[in-house]
Amino acid sequence: MAKNSVGKAEDTSCEDVFKMVFDRIQTGILIIEPETHTIIDANDHAESLLGVKKDKLVGKVCHDFVCLAHCGECPITDLHKSFHNTERVLISATGEKIPVLKTVAPASIGGKAYLIESFVDIRDRKRAEQRKIALLAYLNESVLRIKKPLELTGQNLYQIELQVGSGEYTAEEIRMQIRIQSNNIMTMAATLQELARTAAEERDDIPEGFREFFIRK
Amino acid sequence: MADNQGLDLTKDTQLYLLLSAPQDTNAMNIMVVKKSLAVGCTPLIVSINQPSQVLVKSYAKEGISPDQYFVVDAVTHYSGGTTVSNPHIRYVNQPSDLTGLGIAITEFLKQIPSPRKCIIFDSVSMLLIHIPSATASKFLHFVVNKLKISEVSGIFLCVENGLDPVILSQMTVFVDKIVDFEEIKNKITPQAGSLK
Repeated sequence: MAKNSVGKAEDTSCEDVFKMVFDRIQTGILIIEPETHTIIDANDHAESLLGVKKDKLVGKVCHDFVCLAHCGECPITDLHKSFHNTERVLISATGEKIPVLKTVAPASIGGKAYLIESFVDIRDRKRAEQRKIALLAYLNESVLRIKKPLELTGQNLYQIELQVGSGEYTAEEIRMQIRIQSNNIMTMAATLQELARTAAEERDDIPEGFREFFIRK
Repeated sequence: MADNQGLDLTKDTQLYLLLSAPQDTNAMNIMVVKKSLAVGCTPLIVSINQPSQVLVKSYAKEGISPDQYFVVDAVTHYSGGTTVSNPHIRYVNQPSDLTGLGIAITEFLKQIPSPRKCIIFDSVSMLLIHIPSATASKFLHFVVNKLKISEVSGIFLCVENGLDPVILSQMTVFVDKIVDFEEIKNKITPQAGSLK
């Protein structure tokens, strides 16, 4: 932090600084009373992620908002599990399932034990993972439907060459087989173009112009 | 993954996935036809790779007579070739015509008089040129179910490493054995063209 900023910060009380950080940090934070699982406080980002105003959160039990566990089965206080950047799902007020990294840390405030539950929205990361999986699937499909068939086509053409040399096959039989291989190559080329087009259509990280080029708009 | 105990077509309703290198696909086809005939099983070859006219000639060179087998030919029309009227051959417009393939297979299974028959599908890898792997998987599931209901054996030919891991895992569930052609081809006696 720059010296001027520090100097400015010194003008405000420690509590104000904490409040500012608490409400501006891009991590949802809930402070929970562990015995009753009651939400004592929530920051702005938690409000935003859950789609519920703070006054509707405070005083309610956490099971209703951030944890799908039933009463008496709290993973932290009843089952003694730990959460440290653990992937979980939040269900917002609109019913949207939001993947988050969740951490629950015990803390003592004014001599009283609390749980600080924090969660980071990882929807973008999940979308990127899905795109990566989709691209791998497209690549895999391309290999299956292009590479192996091309190897077979090469082998078939070699067989046709042998058949021509043997003199045992008629010109029509040779023509038919060459046509089959030719049609197959054209089909593979069309498949490759279709796979590239589909991959481009479903990817939103490709610049618009480049995507249009791919899908031949 | 592959089972090196080979094909055993003496048992009814056995389903195999037979894997080979690309250069061995024709030899694998002929070997399976011979082996099925050797145990009194009439083969129905579903050809997505070679026109029946060429298959007939290749089999004849190996001493296999055209009245010993049946063919569903999915590539003669596709190649612009002429079809011939033959009760042992049914033509399908193109390899991607799965409905036509399904109908031809079903009708032949009813028509073939032999009590023991088997389907030789040549090949799963070539089918993937024409249809997406997910569609191929559904179609193969349909064929496998048809074979099980009809108590008919099936041998699905495929190029090694040429299958989607998902299809392969599904096929592993469908079939009784996955056999590597490399493991069994040395058992073919070259002089007689027969199997040990």
